[in-house]
Amino acid sequence: MNLSLPENKKIRFLRWFDFRSWRLGMLAYILNRVTAIGLVLYLYIHLAVLSMLTGGPAQWDPFVALARSPMFLALDVLLLAGMLIHGLNGVRVALTGFGIGVRAQKPMFVALMLVGAVLLLAGALKIFME
Amino acid sequence: MQGGTRKKFVQLARCANTLMAFDITLRMFRYRPGQAAHFETYAVTVPDAANVLDAIEQVWDKHDRDLMFRHACHHASCGTCAVRVNGREVLPCIAPVKNYLDGAKALTIEPLRNFSMVGDLLVDVAPLLQRQETAGLVITRPVENHLDGKPIASAQGLDPESVETVPFNRFEDCIECGICLSACPTMAASTKFFGPAGLAALKSQLDKTTDPTERARLLDLADDEQGVWRCHSAWECTETCPQNVRPAEAIMALRQAILARKFGFGK
Amino acid sequence: MNPKRSTLGWFWQSVTGLALLLLLGVHFVAHHFIAAGGLRDFNQVMAYLSNPIIIALELGFLVSVTIHALLGVRSILFDLGLDARWEKNVTWALTALGALTLAYGVWLLYTILQTGSALAMWTR
Repeated sequence: MNLSLPENKKIRFLRWFDFRSWRLGMLAYILNRVTAIGLVLYLYIHLAVLSMLTGGPAQWDPFVALARSPMFLALDVLLLAGMLIHGLNGVRVALTGFGIGVRAQKPMFVALMLVGAVLLLAGALKIFME
Repeated sequence: MQGGTRKKFVQLARCANTLMAFDITLRMFRYRPGQAAHFETYAVTVPDAANVLDAIEQVWDKHDRDLMFRHACHHASCGTCAVRVNGREVLPCIAPVKNYLDGAKALTIEPLRNFSMVGDLLVDVAPLLQRQETAGLVITRPVENHLDGKPIASAQGLDPESVETVPFNRFEDCIECGICLSACPTMAASTKFFGPAGLAALKSQLDKTTDPTERARLLDLADDEQGVWRCHSAWECTETCPQNVRPAEAIMALRQAILARKFGFGK
Repeated sequence: MNPKRSTLGWFWQSVTGLALLLLLGVHFVAHHFIAAGGLRDFNQVMAYLSNPIIIALELGFLVSVTIHALLGVRSILFDLGLDARWEKNVTWALTALGALTLAYGVWLLYTILQTGSALAMWTR
């Protein structure tokens, strides 16, 4: 599929998905955006769910029992992964944006993602061990 | 000639032939306004040391005189021939065909992204040139005492006093090839972004002037929704730039300059 | 392009981002790692919220995350190359959404605390 065809002009961002041109920077860009959208959706779902607390233990505690089921725990791991990717990539974006480590941004990204992988593994173990 | 000797001779000849020339296949993007874009395949033979531009010229020379493409200098100083080879932006004039040869021996040649298409490999680079003009980029830097951040005198072993008085002309690094605009994911989504080349030009001009009015004009251009703040740090511009302009670093440096002006610290 | 319009969105995105690294760290660890079973039941939530420092942290988290999230959404939408009128509409809509989100968050916290103390009175 060629994404630079003139008839594709209207949905320009589809050009992002020409995987032949992907490098580390493009991967960081897309990961940041995908996790951003996911986290915003989660934020509003989270705020809505918290309204159950106004109903006292009668409403909240059955939900807590449900949220301790393995399916919800897997979603927690997914959430943690999104937060780690977005937060740690954000460290790179902010540091380089303030002029720190501009020549080392690639190794910085790799190192941050490795830190993220370790934290995710530790977090996942903790979540499922409980 | 006996069978075995003949076989050896043929092998030797084939070996010599591969040292001299390649048979390769080019998958070329073909387009005319009002017609459907498509790929066409051409078989060409190019010398061992050929660059991709040589192969494109072979197609024009041997197969199709209607092929639209641009080139001038053949040595990466004019910036007119930029295209995408196998999906990635390069100057085909300095990209050896050999580097792209896998088992299939086929190269896919497409025009740059994020520009309006004119025909085949030709795109309309006017938006790029307009931005460079707005930034006030000139072809040469009139007087320069520093090269790559180091005083020329110490780098060249010259007397600093004499360097101060000798006007030193240097060509701008940016050759306005458009590769960074084609590789930039933000440019892909929005045409309003000032773009890596334009922002690098602003930084370059900023470094050259002490005139407060001109500095304010340049910083105002950079300090905009569609200026340095639209960049999301993919660094693809710096990765692809064939001339070491490092546009992403220029963007980060402009952010420092803008914040310094806003909050009154630094310079 | 409008060179006169100053743009500090990116700066605030960085500042709230840094705040979130700390506040979200506290929030996530406190609610999912320290809490027994990975999530607090109602009485545990109340015990947690009885500390005024925790309330301040949760409010700080609410403000930071709302600003960061909606500046991000604005940035994503602006990346699509909107025309000037839509850029204005998006900015207004997201500002309103942000105000609503903050108001809802504060109301929620207040109501939860009220519910908690009412229940405590009733069970005593």
